[in-house]
Amino acid sequence: MTRAFINTAVPLLAAMLVAGRAAAQQIDPRLERLDATTRPTVAAVIDSARTAMLPTEPLVQRALEGATKRASGEMIVAAVRRLAVDLGHAREALGSTASGAELTAGAAALRAGASQTILTELRRTRREPLTVPLAVLADLVASGVPVDSAAAAVLSLARRARDADLVEFRRAVERDIALGAPPAAATAAAAIAQSVDVNAGARQQRPGRP
Amino acid sequence: MRPAAAARHVWTAVLAAATSLVGVRAPAAQTTGTIDVGVSTVRYDGFRPSGAGSLTPALTWAGTGAAVTARGTYLRFESGRRSLLGLVAASLFTPPSLLPQRWRGELSLSGGGSSYADFASFWHATGEARLHFVAAGRGAWIGGTGGRTSYGGPPRPVAVVGVGLWVRRAQLTVAASATRSFVGDTAYSDLGSTIHASRGRFELDASLAARVSSRGAGHGVHGEASTTFTLAERTALFVSGGRYPTDPVSGSVAGRYASAGLRLRTALPRPHAIRDPHPPSRSPAAGDGGAGYTTRLEVDPNPDGSARVVVHALAATTVEVAGDFTDWQPVTLRRTGEDKWESVLHIPSGVHRVNVRIDGGRWTAPAGMARAEDEFGGEVGIVAVP
Repeated sequence: MTRAFINTAVPLLAAMLVAGRAAAQQIDPRLERLDATTRPTVAAVIDSARTAMLPTEPLVQRALEGATKRASGEMIVAAVRRLAVDLGHAREALGSTASGAELTAGAAALRAGASQTILTELRRTRREPLTVPLAVLADLVASGVPVDSAAAAVLSLARRARDADLVEFRRAVERDIALGAPPAAATAAAAIAQSVDVNAGARQQRPGRP
Repeated sequence: MRPAAAARHVWTAVLAAATSLVGVRAPAAQTTGTIDVGVSTVRYDGFRPSGAGSLTPALTWAGTGAAVTARGTYLRFESGRRSLLGLVAASLFTPPSLLPQRWRGELSLSGGGSSYADFASFWHATGEARLHFVAAGRGAWIGGTGGRTSYGGPPRPVAVVGVGLWVRRAQLTVAASATRSFVGDTAYSDLGSTIHASRGRFELDASLAARVSSRGAGHGVHGEASTTFTLAERTALFVSGGRYPTDPVSGSVAGRYASAGLRLRTALPRPHAIRDPHPPSRSPAAGDGGAGYTTRLEVDPNPDGSARVVVHALAATTVEVAGDFTDWQPVTLRRTGEDKWESVLHIPSGVHRVNVRIDGGRWTAPAGMARAEDEFGGEVGIVAVP
């Protein structure tokens, strides 16, 4: 029984290891767009990420973005490495159960200036997927909203708002900013509006009224 | 333009201060400037109609639970006469810990003046205190105002008491209020309602009010409406019109108006300084893109996982989009209208990076979405798809 098990299991395990390693070393054909010097380095970073159970698709995309923009190999490798580090930090903050999309959005939020504490708080606050809240958070910060204000607004909405509500919230902020509101104020006001606790008096005077 | 509609022109200020009403953490202090440029036709009660051009700069500082707005308006009538007005208004909310839950206090101060030609001038200085009750989707307030106002003579005392309530559902807010005002020996009551609605790039505001029980301030029903359309990150169009009553507090005379204009705002504070070694040109023909100024991108997700990508580009011959949803392979959009290009692409839920290229020029981040440094020496647009 034991000998039979060993005779079967050991070759199978070896085959799995070999196959897994071969799969790991297989370079994504899309990376053919990189030059011959850059490609193996980027592939190595991607392999490391795969070994660390991090999503690799965003890394491939970042490399492809650099290739499309005709960036130098050094810039591409540096950008891919930075993203891999951000993805690792995002997983630390969001937990091992975070999906690839959540980690990608979390990495974008971290890169925009959000802290790991904010991401952890979001995970604790919201049961539903965090992809859209994290994307909105990164989006707001990129729009000029101070990170603490953006985080406070997203956290206040994340518990009960649907993804579509969050996107609408983002649009409301963009609209108010375009109409002249300071980004932080627009964010706070839109957050209030989304949580239906609006101060009606505050909304009476709109731009365009002479 | 309405000549002295100044009394509470502090919407952005109050928006910021309202933060404390529901416990959203207060934003960091920020300062924003806008300039409205418009044309109007105005007919004051008892006078002939007149056309006018207006210039309205405004500066708003919004801090922790407080905000200050300074605004000026220059009006030039077709007669050649001019009107000037200026206003400084401040609003301060009590901290959440001061009053019981769901109750907040607000103190606002307003001071301003206006003049028409060389022979009519107003000034006013008032303070208002309000007590707010805020619940989910609804609220109410009660408040009182005191101060002084003058119309070229000795100042007259101002006293106003009022109550109001509001309800909000989705993108619609409806409010109603009742006030009783005393300005010297003038007394009047106003019953009013407002509605605010938004959809996409459009915003609509309308009001309907009746002045009743008036002694020296006129009677009647008045209504105004305004709509704004956001053009781009820093520009919006507005159209407004209606009929408004005399406001003895701030010195406006009853009249009718119709206005249209353009709002320009100052640059946004950016979290990261983006150093672009190749600043875009306004001329697509130059082959360097210029999407930052002349293109706008919209992404409309469909339930089936696809999304309609629309780019508005001025004077373009070819428009391409590339993003992480195309494996960063350029996708050429088809022209569907003048300056309008589009395609339907598969874009899954999540945060995506996207760029636009005009006439084979440089990849740029279009207007209509957030931007970030792309780590390759340029900018990338960021779009969130639910």
